[in-house]
Amino acid sequence: MSQVRVDDKTYQMPPQDGFTVAQFITVADVERSARFYEKVFGGRILTTGNSEGAPGFIQIANTWLIVYFGGGPTPDKPTVTLSVPADPDSVSSFMNIRVADIHACYELWRSRGAEFLTEPKDKHGETRCYIRDPDGYIIEVGQSKPGFAYG
Amino acid sequence: MSELKSTTGQVQVGEKSYQMPPQDGFTIAYFITVSDIERSLRFYEKVFGGDVASRGDSKGAPGYIQIANAWLIVNVGGGPTPDKPTVILSVPPDPDKVTSFMNFRVADIQACYKLWRSRGAEFITEPKKKYGETRCYIRDPDGYIIEVGQSDPGVTYG
Repeated sequence: MSQVRVDDKTYQMPPQDGFTVAQFITVADVERSARFYEKVFGGRILTTGNSEGAPGFIQIANTWLIVYFGGGPTPDKPTVTLSVPADPDSVSSFMNIRVADIHACYELWRSRGAEFLTEPKDKHGETRCYIRDPDGYIIEVGQSKPGFAYG
Repeated sequence: MSELKSTTGQVQVGEKSYQMPPQDGFTIAYFITVSDIERSLRFYEKVFGGDVASRGDSKGAPGYIQIANAWLIVNVGGGPTPDKPTVILSVPPDPDKVTSFMNFRVADIQACYKLWRSRGAEFITEPKKKYGETRCYIRDPDGYIIEVGQSDPGVTYG
């Protein structure tokens, strides 16, 4: 079991009451992805899963990342197929890491092997850059400017 | 104050709280491209009891909604932008071809299924048993799937 506290509430995985939000990404290699998120972001690998269908779980900051191979359809999603990104430049959703010091994170995570698309760039309300993970997913890294509660 | 610890690991990470925006370290959110920010905020607010922190604006600020331990950020598509010169954001062109999604792990899936359905969530099927867990999926207003899963007793992660 692992847990985090946000505001005054504790969240566990698996939850003992209510619900806990995780993010799932389809990956080509569970072990490779788990190592990447561990090394770059200091995530904790809780399990690397198994070949019978159990996915890998990595706790990172306030959330959990669940990684597994593609496939499907399955009886609970009879029309849906999971795959790694077919075109890494056509994106609908992604992990968004909000940081307190983007230049420090850029230097640290780069030194740990993260590949950034560009250096941090200024835009309206925030400074922002993006990482590509081993499967080509983009990860936004953003710092809100002073005075902007939400960038 | 807050803590982050595990009964499985040997590592005890000291007192740590997570805020948005973070005052130190980092806080993780999930971003989805949507066709209508307000519609999406209302959906996540109504179905999951999310707390809308910002409704965004027409200058490009996204909507923020806190849901349990996570934050969901919603904005309209577009791009490329200078910080991702080859990337274009759009709502899912084919909602049946999926790479990543939000995964709601729950303590009581039958209760969540009934409650969230009564609030307007469209489930693809009723909860179904599989190896290590019971699972079902919701479609959000843009066609994103949201997994809802409860691990079987004795299965720590599944």
